[in-house]
Order: sequence, then structure tokens, then C-alpha cells
Amino acid sequence: MQAPLRLHLSAALKDDSSWTHDANCHCHCRFQPRSQPALRRRRQLIQRLLLFGSILLTGFFFFFPDLRPDLGSGPLSYLASTDDSKLETVRYYDLSNVQGTARGWEREERILLCAPLRDAAPHLPMFFGHLKNLTYPHNLIDLAFLVGDSKDNTLELLNSKLEALQADPEARNQFGEISILEKDFGQKVNQDVESRHGFAAQAGRRKSMAQARNWLLSAALRPTHSWVYWRDVDVETAPFTILEDLMRHNKDVIVPNVWRPLPDWLGGEQPYDLNSWQESETALALADTLDEDAVIVEGYAEYATWRPHLAYLRDPYGDPDMEMEIDGVGGVSILAKAKVFRQGVHFPAFSFEKHAETEGFGKMAKRMKFSVVGLPHYTIWHLYEPSVDDIRHMEEMEKERKAKEAEEAAKQQKEDKIKEQFDNKGSDWEKEKAAVQDLVQKAKNEEKEEAKKREEDKKAKEAAKEEPKEEAEAEKAKEEKAQEAAKEELKVEAKADKAKVEKAQEAAKKDTADAKKHVEKREEIHEAWGVDERGKAVPKQPEVPDSA
Amino acid sequence: MPSPRSLRRQNPITLVLAGILCIGFFIFIFSSNDATAASSGQAAGRTSSSVLSPPSMPFRKSRANELHSAPPVEHYFMNNVTQSRNPAENKEKVLILTPLARFYQAYWDNLNKIAYPHDLISLGFIIPKTKEGNQAYADLQKQVTKTQSGPKAKRFASITILRQDTENPLMSQNEAERHKMEHQKARRGAMAKARNSLLFTTLGPTTSWVLWLDADIVEFPPTLIQDLADYDAPIVAPNCFQRYYNNEKKAMDVRPYDYNNWIDSSTAKEMAAKMGKDDILLEGYVEMPTYRTLMAMMHDPSADPGTKIKLDGVGGAALLVKADVHRDGAMFPPFPFYHLIETEGFAKMAKRLNWDSYGLPNYLVYHYNE
Repeated sequence: MQAPLRLHLSAALKDDSSWTHDANCHCHCRFQPRSQPALRRRRQLIQRLLLFGSILLTGFFFFFPDLRPDLGSGPLSYLASTDDSKLETVRYYDLSNVQGTARGWEREERILLCAPLRDAAPHLPMFFGHLKNLTYPHNLIDLAFLVGDSKDNTLELLNSKLEALQADPEARNQFGEISILEKDFGQKVNQDVESRHGFAAQAGRRKSMAQARNWLLSAALRPTHSWVYWRDVDVETAPFTILEDLMRHNKDVIVPNVWRPLPDWLGGEQPYDLNSWQESETALALADTLDEDAVIVEGYAEYATWRPHLAYLRDPYGDPDMEMEIDGVGGVSILAKAKVFRQGVHFPAFSFEKHAETEGFGKMAKRMKFSVVGLPHYTIWHLYEPSVDDIRHMEEMEKERKAKEAEEAAKQQKEDKIKEQFDNKGSDWEKEKAAVQDLVQKAKNEEKEEAKKREEDKKAKEAAKEEPKEEAEAEKAKEEKAQEAAKEELKVEAKADKAKVEKAQEAAKKDTADAKKHVEKREEIHEAWGVDERGKAVPKQPEVPDSA
Repeated sequence: MPSPRSLRRQNPITLVLAGILCIGFFIFIFSSNDATAASSGQAAGRTSSSVLSPPSMPFRKSRANELHSAPPVEHYFMNNVTQSRNPAENKEKVLILTPLARFYQAYWDNLNKIAYPHDLISLGFIIPKTKEGNQAYADLQKQVTKTQSGPKAKRFASITILRQDTENPLMSQNEAERHKMEHQKARRGAMAKARNSLLFTTLGPTTSWVLWLDADIVEFPPTLIQDLADYDAPIVAPNCFQRYYNNEKKAMDVRPYDYNNWIDSSTAKEMAAKMGKDDILLEGYVEMPTYRTLMAMMHDPSADPGTKIKLDGVGGAALLVKADVHRDGAMFPPFPFYHLIETEGFAKMAKRLNWDSYGLPNYLVYHYNE
């Protein structure tokens, strides 16, 4: 590059000197045209030299593109055909700016929301509903998903949902960085409810879950994140303000209580996440007896740890801000300061102090002296997925219901038939009085109902007389049931139902005081039976005589 | 007036030719080499369109007058992130991580000399917030700016510079003070936290290899990455030596420096079994004879330079790690993990995750001599 430049320079100088000479001669040597051809000849030489030099330089830069002069980011850079200068390769961060504070939304602290997914397509619409409803500024939330070993259309659905999310014209509804990480670990563990929660599969399953979580986090955590929020996609109900609510406590790791709703026949609700607990002496002693790779899993009879669980401490009317120190955490909804993960706490995919995954995470966070806290009275609700047992039970119930319906239909038919037989006589008469049919029929119907009422009243009175006898019978039935509850269940239930039907009819008809008392007593007995049916059995029984 | 006259006399064809040449020249001089830049860029991975992207990738600044657009939905195919014996051929990205307390020009010069394609290399630094750190930060910044605006082939794909949020328990970093035994646990715990912070914020979804390289490693072969990757080991550590002036021989000589690469001994295991939960085993202290087999002592210049041995503890001076090891969760424990801490604990944790560590006793890198 130097050589041709110097050539140019000398050429230019020569040129210059010739010009001054020319300029000097211009006025004085007007009658000496001979100098012109010489100059012209020299100019041609200069031109050739210039031409040669530029060709040389062009060729040189063509073959050595790296040596082209850099124009920097000044106005000249707009001449460049690529916006190479716009390429930013150096980033500076100060980690003390991303420590996480109690009022992160005011300080524009970024949250990384992580969700590991596998065959989660059915839950995605619900999950995105939750996402849209979050009150934390969306542009401060970065989303990261790890999709692995999915056999359904999780990936496609996720992608289309996310694209739709970002296509929102309102800038404040758009989220920050969105990453979908695709990685198959080739796990052999099934994701269906039964195999997922079976005891034997737990250790292996939790280790591979931990691996997935670590991959997700290590790929998605940035120096800009102040918080990391882990959220399962199958959360059914959670407050929109959950991020702020948890953040406000300003703890290093914090989890809410996780319950799940149940069908009425199972009691209406149930603690779901049993992985949030406080360490107990029993468990520590147990841990010492186990070998290095063993993993204690909570919520299984095989390991009785007697730990206080966050889930069981819930009081629906308790203070939602109450905190409880815990050692193991559940993974349904964890809010942690990003510094916890930055400094190395992760989800052990090996047995760390006899725990793995989220429980091991809690243990490790504690080991590194971070605060780990649970909120016993702040509850979010996990989706209820019936287990195989539940499904079986539900099928049975469905069968029973159908049998009952069929029975009732048969009864109805019989009644109808009887009615028809009664009506036959009247119908002849009806035919003859077709003109006033409507009026007559109405009157007749009323009559019929009254007749029925009277008949039933009579029956009820009879029943009232039989009351003591029946109570004894009920007592006896109870004893029988205690002996062979399972066998009797169906029968008892049928009986109870019959009683219920009778009761309903009677109550509607406003019976005498005697009858009413009798009905009440019966109801109580029935309820006691109901409790028995759920398998809680004996201890409830003494209540019946008391209240009676 | 001579110039107008001369112009008038000029052949118009010459003028046109000169014009064309001028334009051509202009284009060539100002445009970067599109073809090569684009192809290598595509092969090495994309550049991000947004500042919200993994730090291991360069990104394009948006122009000031550009309309705000939502950050895109990015897919990363982590099944394709391979770790093979020929990383350069397979365009595997390498992340070089350095906890930086002092800046040595020799270190940076060696980094620039690395023979691995620079557009596949990302650098990460973490610098403590101390007076010394500020100096190192300034020095580094100067060199980074120089390199990243220099010739394209020498530019690194991306550089991330972090300031540490955790305090270093020891203000003074001088050699003697640093190595005192009672300070080791606190010092190495803080070091481990710095390493983890650097690792987990820069790893990103595209990195294949992580090369840990201490700032005071001032001499290493330019083919370090290829050489170490060729062993196809999950974790591989070269032997860390130091050049010094041998007064006996009256000549420059080398001596072992890093004693953290070792094979465990039964003595050390027994000692560990007797220790309390929070005590740590240290290597290279007379007060604590562990009788472990040290890789530093196994160096034999006459032996096969490719010798590979299995290790139980590794040092962090220079260490090539498959990114999958870190992704599985292997980190540098800042707490006593099986009575080991930092890099030694890292080897143990990797072991618990079924990743083995190896050492190369005859492959040397050199530590700065204070």
C-alpha cells in the first residue's frame, strides 16, 4: 500500500512544480508555445502513472479485503455498502446493577421466565392466558422454553402462540427476548400421570428433569437478568400479580403454596406440591443411612420423613404474606434472584445431600446461605389431572350413575304404565268431550296430584310411626357396613339415595312436625354414611348419636 | 487558464474511463468484502437483530430512526451443538472465559495469536470492583477496542465484559498473601462465585466448548483449542508451568506451578472422612500432606507429548470443557463439596454427573512469574 502511494505523491509533486513553472511562464513566455507539447507529453505520463496506481490499489484491496481502511462509525460509514459498523461485538455489564430488589418493576429489573415443556400442547392455551394477564411489565419479561422429546405438536403450537403474542400492536403487550431451545435428551420415562408419580421412577425422572432445567437456565440466563421465575405450564389458577407479590418479599428464593382442586367426591381440594418442606431430624437421620446416589422423594410412603410441609400448613383465611423458612422447594412456581443462579446454585441432576432437582436446588441454595422461603397462605392452583385410580373410580361412578338412571327409567316406565292403565278409563270419556278437553284435563291433573299427595302423606305418617324401628335398622346397617364396608357400599348408597328421594318429596310437601324431625335425623345418618363411604370410617360415628 | 484548456483538450473517453475507475475504486475501498464476510458469518452462526440476545453472539444496533419492533421468537437447535475432534471444521463455537484481576499484555497477545477461527470465538471476562480491577478493566477495554476495530480476520465474534457483584474477601492479591492456607477457603469460594457468574451469563445456547484461561497464563501454543479438543475428553487440562531464572543453572528454566491437577490418594480420602462438613482439603501445602499424585510432577519432556491421564481434581489455569458438562449443572462449588472447592470441586461435581476429567502432563502452558 505504501509503495503506490509514494509513487502518487512524487508524481503529484512533479506535476505541481511543472504547473508553477507553467504559471510563471504564463505571462512572460506568451510567445514560446514549445513548452506546451512537452508539458502535455509529461501529463500523459502522469495520467498513465495515476491510472496504473489506481489499478494496482484496486487490485490490492480486491485481493486483501482485510487491509481496507476502516472508516469507523463517522459519517463516512454511510458510504459502506454493508452496515458492518452497526455490528456490535462488545458488551459491558455491571452485575451489581442486577441484584434484584423488592420493587423490581420500578427499577426496570428484567425477569427470565423459564418453562420446561414436554408433550404440553393441551396446557399451552391456558399458560398463554396466564402470560397475557401478568401485570409485571411485559417488556421486562424474557421467555425461555425448552422443548424436548415431545411427541405431540407442542413446538408448533408454542411457536404460533409466541408469534401471535409478539405480533400484538401494543408495544406494552410484547415480551422481551424469547428463546425456544430444542433439545432431546432421549428420556425413556413416560410423562403420563401414573408413571410420572410412581415411586420407583422418581429418582431417575427427577434427575432428568433437573438436567432439562439446567440446560434451559444455562442457555437463557443473561447478565441483564435480576430475577428468574420458574413456572409449570399446568398451573390452572394464579394471581395476575404473582410476580410482584413474590418479589415484594425480597427473598433469594420464594415459592407460593400449591394446591389443586379435586372433584367433590374426592373432597374438593388437596395439597399438590409436597416438595416444599422444612428439614426434619428424622429425614436427616434417614439421609445418613442411604447410599450416595439415593434420592429422597417427598410424598411417598416409602420414605417417612415427618417433615413439616408447606402445603399442609395452608389456612384459606391466613395472612397471605406470612413466610416460612423451608429447605426443599417445589418447582411449580419458583421466583429466585438471578444472582442465586449466577453464583452456581442449580437443579442437581445427581444426588445432592440425598436430593435432586428442585428439592436439591433448595438444599444447595441453603448451603450457599441464600434465604429460601415459602408462603403457606398464598396459594396457586395446579391443574387436576385424574390419576388412573381416579379414572377407574370415575368410571365406576359413571356406571353406577347409569345403572341408577336405568333403574329410574324403568321405574318411570312402570309408573307410566300404571298411569296409562288408570287413564284408559278416562280416555273413553275424554274422546267424547273433545271440545272442552283442555279445561277438563287441567282440572283433572290437579285432582290427580292432590290425590297423590294425600296418598303419600299417608305413607309418610306410616313411616313416622315406624321411626324407632328404622333407626335401629340404620344402626344395624352401620355395624354391618363397618364389617364389610366394601361389599355393602353399593347397597348402602342405593338405600341412602332412596332415602334422599323420599326426603325431598316429603320436604316439598311440608309435612307435620313429627315427620320433619324424623327427616332431619335421617339426613344426619346419611351424612355419616357418606363419610364412611370415603373410607375415613369409624372415628366419625360417635357424632351421630350426639347430634341426634 | 491552463487547467480548463487542458480539460478541454482531454479526450472525453479518458475522462469517462477515469470516472469509472474512480467509482470502482471507491466501491472497493469502502465496501467490506461482502462475499467472504457473509459466508463466514453464516457458517459461524447468525448475528442477532436485537440487543436482547445471547452475549456469545454479535448483534446489530438498530438505527435511531428505525421503528420499534418486537423482539423476535428465536429458535435454537441445541441438538446440533456438537463437540467433535475437529471443532474448526464443524464450526463449533468456543467460549474463552477469564476471571481477570490483572491485565497482562502477553496474555492478550497470545489470545490474538490463537489459530482457531476468531469468528467462532467469544470472549468473556469478569473483573472485580477493586482499584486493581479498574486498572485491568481500562487496559482490557483499550486492547479490546483495538482488536475489534482491527483487521476482520482477527476480530472475535463477541466479547462480554462483566464487573463482579460479589466482594473479594482479600483486598491484596499479591502472591504470598493469596496463597496463605487460612485464606484459601474464602478466596477460592469467592473465585468460584466469580467463575460461575461469568459462566452462566455468557454460556448461551450455541457454545460448544468452554476454554477456561486464567489471565496470568502468558504463554500457550496458538493451536491450544484444536490440540485439547482432539483428545475428545469432557474436561481436559494441560500442565501449567512457570518460567524462571534458575540461579543454579544460570539459565532460564521451567518449574511446575499449578498443583490442583491431581489423582486422588487413599490418604486424602481418609483425611476427608475425618473432616467436618465445612472443612476443605487443599493441595500444595506442607501442613496438609495428602500424598495425591500431582500432574505437575509427572511432566517428562522426553516422554510422549500426547500422554493423557485421568484426574480427580483439576486446576483452572487452562481447562477445556465441553459445554454440555456445564449445561448439565457442573459448576465451581463455592462451598466445600466433598471437601473440595472451586475447580477441584468442579471435577468432583462433573464426576457425579458422569463426566470424567483428564490431564495432559506433557502439554505445557506457562504462568506469569511475579
